[in-house]
Amino acid sequence: MKRTTLWKRMAAAVLSSALLIGAAFTTQYRADAAEVSGKIVVAGSTALLPLTQQAAKEFKKHHPKVKIVVSGSSSIAGPQSVAKGVATIGACDWDATRAVGGFPAYKGLKAYKIAKIPFAVIVNKNNAVNNLSVQQIQDIYEGKITNWKQVGGKDEEIVVINRAKGSGTRVNFEDKIMDGHAIKTSGDNYKEVQKSGDMVNAVSSNPNAIGFVDLAYVKGGIKAVSINGVKATTANAASGKYVFYGYGYLLTKGEAKGADKAFINYILSQKFQHGSLKKLKFIPVK
Amino acid sequence: MEKQSPDWTDAMNLLTAHRQSRWTVKYTADRFFRFLCLGSVIFLGAVLGAIVLFVSETGFLVFRDVSLSEFFFSPHWDPEHGKYGAAVFIAGTLYLTLVTLLITTPISICVAVFIAEIAPPWLRQWLRTLLDLLVGIPSIVYGYLGATLLIPWIREHTGAPVGDGFLAAALVLSIMILPTITRITDDALCAVPNEWREANYALGGTTFQMIVRVVLPAAKSGIAAAVILGMARAIGETMAVVMVIGNVAQWGFDLVTPSSVLTSHIVMQILNVDFQSTTNHALYMMALLLLMISISLIMLIRRLRLKGGAS
Repeated sequence: MKRTTLWKRMAAAVLSSALLIGAAFTTQYRADAAEVSGKIVVAGSTALLPLTQQAAKEFKKHHPKVKIVVSGSSSIAGPQSVAKGVATIGACDWDATRAVGGFPAYKGLKAYKIAKIPFAVIVNKNNAVNNLSVQQIQDIYEGKITNWKQVGGKDEEIVVINRAKGSGTRVNFEDKIMDGHAIKTSGDNYKEVQKSGDMVNAVSSNPNAIGFVDLAYVKGGIKAVSINGVKATTANAASGKYVFYGYGYLLTKGEAKGADKAFINYILSQKFQHGSLKKLKFIPVK
Repeated sequence: MEKQSPDWTDAMNLLTAHRQSRWTVKYTADRFFRFLCLGSVIFLGAVLGAIVLFVSETGFLVFRDVSLSEFFFSPHWDPEHGKYGAAVFIAGTLYLTLVTLLITTPISICVAVFIAEIAPPWLRQWLRTLLDLLVGIPSIVYGYLGATLLIPWIREHTGAPVGDGFLAAALVLSIMILPTITRITDDALCAVPNEWREANYALGGTTFQMIVRVVLPAAKSGIAAAVILGMARAIGETMAVVMVIGNVAQWGFDLVTPSSVLTSHIVMQILNVDFQSTTNHALYMMALLLLMISISLIMLIRRLRLKGGAS
């Protein structure tokens, strides 16, 4: 008998304290809760994923009533999932409301430019070449220049590495560097890789390779070459002197509303643009 | 300890009622379990059917825009310019499988013969455990080792500028499927009755004669099943292949030119295509081809097993 009362007492104590804590939390939530609520689903680009994830983390603190799910698969998945209604916000490495890189223009979507992304043309760390002109890079990728000797390096055949068709980085490379010149996608000195990480591995393991990747990936066995004599740095990309950069976009179906709008506004706020965004090696657009 | 004195028939009635309810419960449970099992089978069948249906439904859409002969016989894959020839990938898959089997089958059979017929019992146990461990290694590990160790080695020894290609892929796949083929061959060899071996020795045959003339022929259908199972794994393998094959839509019969196969091409492209595009439909068609190839291989194995009887 004694034992049961003890149990009952303990249970009562636990229950009441739980209630108390719960009540405390509810009041706190109520005090903090902003007017926005709802569910945000972000899908698309993996390059922008660190950015959207960080933004979601911070945004949740300010708007606890909003549920945010962030995922990343590929750039084209962004506008596609928004158009299909699977996601409310699509992240994409290019402005998908225009026809870019062989993809159709997505009508009815609204694009918000959220960050500038610097890219780099990379070579193996032991490569003597430190600078290439846009013309030279074009010629290498078109297959007109095939030996490092022709651009001031060793007498070795150039190994050209490309990303898979439709990769956001490749779309930007074709847009900013190739400028309408077609990449030669065949030959025994050419290969394609799936992801940015694979690109880094491929170039760091082959002394004669050339490739391209987000500037944030440049470390270890690879180095970024200067383009037209301008060093690949975020500062140079921010000022526009360095030409190999792109923009990251968030897309919504029509004008952004409610929670989506609040989320995009948060990313575009001075605090986020010059705080977390910069820390993640993106360049503020505001 | 309550004292009741019900009359005898009442007691009997109660007892039968009790029994009956127990019987009903038992049978209901029985029947329920039967439905559960049947339901599981139907569920499995429905899922499989849905996969085949969905993949083929999307896949066959490709033939609205691309002719049958272009898809199967043209080597030009360039969706941007409306060229959807998948011959490179189809031939690549078959070629890669062939090269892989040429490398791995003789080695596997030799290892299996060593384990089953020659090795002392303690070593036999060790080797079997080792092979079982190797079967469980995820393919991405093989792919990673291939990309970091094998490719620089190939580059150095063949003079190829890139090093990716069928040679690298076939070597990685060979190492990957070797334990599978070896273990199943080993089982097939052990299933050969010992009396046959003894008969060989009684007739004055050597161990070599016993292995080549008696054991291997007797286990032949089991060995064939082992090879086909390894083949099915090699054909469907994706991650290890995509890391070492180079992923270029061009012929690679000289073994060191970057090329592509069905699986690696699908995984490279599938995330980067528009759902409604012909490219997407073409990729689904390739998936359907893979599905058909592996289904026919599995059917072949079943047939071999049935024919082989005991082994």
